[in-house]
Amino acid sequence: MPTVEISHITKTFGPLKAVDDVSFSIEKGELFGLLGPNGAGKTTTIRCMLDIFKPDSGSVAILGGAMSEAKKDHIGYMPEERGLYQDIPLERCLAYLGSLKGLSPSDVKQRSEGYLERFDLAAHKTKKVKELSKGMQQKAQIIATLLHQPELLIVDEPFAGLDPVNTQMVKDLLREQHQQGVTIVLCSHQMNLVEELCDRIVLIDHGKVMLYGGLEDIRHQFSGHAVVVRAEGPLPELKGIERVEPINGSTKLHLAAGMKPQEILKTLVAKDVTLAQFEIAMPTLDEIFIRVVQGEGGEA
Amino acid sequence: MSKTWHVALHEYSRHVFNKRFLLGLLSVPFVIILMVGLIFLIVAMETDARPVGYVDFSGILADPVPPPEIEPPDKPVEFRPYADESAAMAALDHGEIQAYYVIPEDYLETGTLSVVHAEALKDGPRYQFYDFLAVNLLRDTDPAIARRIVESDEVIVQSADGSRSMSSDSWFNILVPFIAAIAFIIAMFTAGGYLMQAVVEEKENRTMEVLITSVSSNQFMAGKIIGDIAIGLTQILAWIGFVIIGILVGRVKLEFLQGIEIPPQALLLIATILLPALVMVCALMAAIGATVSEAREGQQMTGLISLPIWIPYMLTGIIIGSPNAPIVVALSLFPLTAPLTMLIRQGMTNIPAWQIVASSAIMILSAVGSIWLAGRAFRLGMLRYGKRLKWREIFAKS
Repeated sequence: MPTVEISHITKTFGPLKAVDDVSFSIEKGELFGLLGPNGAGKTTTIRCMLDIFKPDSGSVAILGGAMSEAKKDHIGYMPEERGLYQDIPLERCLAYLGSLKGLSPSDVKQRSEGYLERFDLAAHKTKKVKELSKGMQQKAQIIATLLHQPELLIVDEPFAGLDPVNTQMVKDLLREQHQQGVTIVLCSHQMNLVEELCDRIVLIDHGKVMLYGGLEDIRHQFSGHAVVVRAEGPLPELKGIERVEPINGSTKLHLAAGMKPQEILKTLVAKDVTLAQFEIAMPTLDEIFIRVVQGEGGEA
Repeated sequence: MSKTWHVALHEYSRHVFNKRFLLGLLSVPFVIILMVGLIFLIVAMETDARPVGYVDFSGILADPVPPPEIEPPDKPVEFRPYADESAAMAALDHGEIQAYYVIPEDYLETGTLSVVHAEALKDGPRYQFYDFLAVNLLRDTDPAIARRIVESDEVIVQSADGSRSMSSDSWFNILVPFIAAIAFIIAMFTAGGYLMQAVVEEKENRTMEVLITSVSSNQFMAGKIIGDIAIGLTQILAWIGFVIIGILVGRVKLEFLQGIEIPPQALLLIATILLPALVMVCALMAAIGATVSEAREGQQMTGLISLPIWIPYMLTGIIIGSPNAPIVVALSLFPLTAPLTMLIRQGMTNIPAWQIVASSAIMILSAVGSIWLAGRAFRLGMLRYGKRLKWREIFAKS
């Protein structure tokens, strides 16, 4: 049974259809990417998932059924717009948020101390939240999300505002949670990180699902528009090439519409070019994202 | 502990253990001490304790009975006899006395005496001399009657059924419910203000989204309202404590504080009208917090509640003059004006039982309705960032 199952949900705000017939499911223990440009409907989809908003139509099943108060204690949610009490000390803020997830004061203390040490915040725990830097607040928010050891973790832009060291730390933490069997929904604009961490993705644009499936399948689906070639000596002039891009000693040939990689290979062999490498270039998620958002590629 | 109580406890401790709240709490005893100090200062300035002389040609003060005891903050003045006016004048010139009275031989016939002074004699020594003269004029009268004449009369007005009475000496008892109502209203707005501010802040700093994925909106709102009612009650109880300490300390020296008692009807009104009013104001403030997008906007909207609540204060003259007039009864039955109106009336009249029951029922229903309103406004407005929730949306069918 999927941990999250969203079936044909639609949510309208006045004249705006924020989510339009969106369906996808997230399996238990999966690290799932929820992608989309700004204003695509990702946050509304998450809010419907968490029962903050009721969808106008369609259904949402989470942790095996409709959302309940008891299930809230098994879900960790870090919204894109961070929310911590600014005027109280960090440890008190964590204690309060932990208590609302059903943790006892001793559990909160024990767990928060471990995370505070790990995130280099132990020395700042008595400071008011507003006295912490943006990056520190970000880390504090991540601690608050993980404190109750959720089964389902929904993190919206968890790397925003973090330096490379802390980005790596959060990446490691997400991997660790993933290894422990936690189901993770990762919303991020940093495609390289999504590519690095996620197994499957859904890409939403204008409220609709544009891409949905395994990351490798999607990359294969969008491959074939470029080949990477390394030859001994310069490449001859080739027809059907839109753009030539040098990459680390190789050359990436972007093919014109209608041109197939096999035809390029055939031409190169015919011209007696000695090839050290010839492969179909797999597009990065970044490239796929741009192509889909700019109108190329179909709806899933 | 349920999540509602966690929210309530957080709300309570966040505000109560805060410098601003403690300063507000201590400001009341500070103001009381300041006012009592001012009273003492004014009385002291009105009293010149230097001796006053007298030259008695009438013989009334030949072998004088001592003057009545003087109660603080007044200071007792010594009265010195002089054989003739020249001796008294010499003492006045030397600054030994501040003035001297001359009681002529025919004083009992004319009732006229004269006073000689360098500076105008203040009220304190003047009245003390009159009392001194009075007790000596009445020295052959029954001491109890003499005391009543010196202390003057006390008019006691009693209700027909004998359940209530009021006298000029118990004026403070009328003030007590009135002051209690004002203190309650101040506490209501302090607690309600915290609640409104907290809800707006949670929207502004986006904490709301995290909170509502941990608790239900009903649990959250209930916890907040309970926490803020507790803040209001803490403030009121602390102030009551300060006032009781003030009265216990002050009654040793101040006679008017000795007869203070809270009428049982006032306690009934506090329980059945002021407590629901506290709940109602807190809930309405929470509703405002949920509908607005920033704190400043919320403060402006608070006026819609605070203005009607203070209307009876502005109409105190009318309520005291005609405590049973139709307009006053109407104010007693309108939820926002009932708290102050009922407590002012309580000091002035016997409020009919049906009006107490009706006003209490209206207040309790208003409190329940306000909680419903706050819950609904909260559910609809909690994630409205930068956009105000319209009141018609709250009342629209869901």
